[in-house]
Amino acid sequence: MMERWVWITLVITAYLGITLTIGLLAGQRSTHTVDGYVAADRGFGLLVMYFVTGAMVFSAFAFLGGPGWAYSRGAAAFYILAYGALGMAPFYWIGPRAAGLGRRFGYVTQAQLVVARFPSNNLSALMALLSLIAFVPYITLQMEGAGIVIEAVTDGNVPMWLGALLAYSVVIAYVLVSGAMAVGWTNTFQGIFMLVIAWTLGLYLPQRLYGGIGPMFEQIADAQPELLIPPGLAVDGEPWTWGGFSTSIIVSVVGLTMWPHFFMKAFTARDDDTLRRTVILFPTFQLFLIPVFLIGFSGILFPNQPPSADFILPFMILETQLPALVIGLFCAGALSASMSTGDALLHASASILVEDGAGRYVQIEERNKPRYIKALVLIIGAIAYFLAIVSDLSLVQLLLASYGIVSQFAPTVLAALYWKRANTLGTLAGLLAGTATSVFFWVYPDLRPWDMHEGVLGLIVHIPTLITFTLMTPAQDEAHIHRFFS
Amino acid sequence: MVTSDQGRPYMTLKTARALTWTYLVLAILAVTWPGILPFARIRPLIFGLPFSMAWIATWVAGCVVVFGLLELVERKHRTEGN
Repeated sequence: MMERWVWITLVITAYLGITLTIGLLAGQRSTHTVDGYVAADRGFGLLVMYFVTGAMVFSAFAFLGGPGWAYSRGAAAFYILAYGALGMAPFYWIGPRAAGLGRRFGYVTQAQLVVARFPSNNLSALMALLSLIAFVPYITLQMEGAGIVIEAVTDGNVPMWLGALLAYSVVIAYVLVSGAMAVGWTNTFQGIFMLVIAWTLGLYLPQRLYGGIGPMFEQIADAQPELLIPPGLAVDGEPWTWGGFSTSIIVSVVGLTMWPHFFMKAFTARDDDTLRRTVILFPTFQLFLIPVFLIGFSGILFPNQPPSADFILPFMILETQLPALVIGLFCAGALSASMSTGDALLHASASILVEDGAGRYVQIEERNKPRYIKALVLIIGAIAYFLAIVSDLSLVQLLLASYGIVSQFAPTVLAALYWKRANTLGTLAGLLAGTATSVFFWVYPDLRPWDMHEGVLGLIVHIPTLITFTLMTPAQDEAHIHRFFS
Repeated sequence: MVTSDQGRPYMTLKTARALTWTYLVLAILAVTWPGILPFARIRPLIFGLPFSMAWIATWVAGCVVVFGLLELVERKHRTEGN
């Protein structure tokens, strides 16, 4: 009789094999150009865009962290449910507008679009640098998530370093070979996996343990009512503040579509209708957070406790004595969440460094660009892996800070697309002031008024700075604006 | 004013967009302080979920309906060349 962990390892291996095959096959459909490698030849239809969007937005952080929040902080987790659809909504207009300009002028990244409106190598490099600062902890967290899940479900027989290495070797292989096309088609597979696993487990666990969702919440309401009333609890177990809850929603709504790896997927859609329908359908994907939270809630009155809140998902599955096949499939679902975000991040960070960083200062031949991007995928992957294995840095803290930084791209992008009077100096000044404010309040959280998110505080400084510096300096050349807005 | 075959007026694009934005603003107000205060409660449970969770999920699901309708109106206008 084979031991349980061996069965589980076999299921995981099969899952990784299928993902790799899909990723490698996908590349045969794309051209060997920058357009092909970075923007999938602008050819994704609705099915792929739907899953690219959903699976990319919801990472290991949502799949493992979401239940962890529900378990330890209760209703505080509802903020994650609140922001997705509202954050996606502006993309109904921004997406097609950006995509139209991308098709006309050949943009594949967010900064290219911004810098075409506000010509400045420094602005481009600043956006590339900030993107990278936001990305590396994010990628590292995805790797850690993958390794931790594999270690947990194999009873430690496959250690964290090996699990992360295996999962991300697969990711790097298909990203290297197939670029954006691989990200698209593997995310479709992984997205379906995430949805099925989350809904199945989220409905099953409350039924099995409490006789239903309603009975489960009745029992929690009797035992620990404070967990079910927003804004829920803070990290320290004390009640969370309304200021923290509300501004976390607002900064995420503003920042969601401004993540550079997300934004540049506007350039991969086949046409504007596809983009708009992706936005319309996105909330249907997002509602999978409901069963994800149910999994976390089902742990609250469970007699045993996981080693830490983020372990609640694998913990519940192992504790309820599910068959090995189901545990393996669950694990594949969690890996899907990690890998479908990690691949897009790796791919985007390398593309951005070449297109918006180095490429603005040194002449790189167009046909050589995919080669440099691939080299950087490897290097960034190695750095993130190194951090995941050795660092004791608080990555969750860094990740929370990165939302503050990314939300500062919103005024910049909106000014580029919609405000004709805006100019380069104002944009640059606003972005610098907003980012500096956000970082300052991240370092000194006790100085934040009403416990507001540092990203919102950054925006409060950013927007007036952008407007003031713009109005104090001359408008852009008429011909330049006409070219961009016609 | 665009009219249908029967001469009934469709919703204008401007109205549809204004309604969509109104929904978005209301949704943000409804899920943050102070708009959420009256709904930050456990009971009655809705489909077994705590009231506040169902409240937020309803606004999320509403986005699909509102944007779906907006897209319908926009497509009508595009095909009629407006």
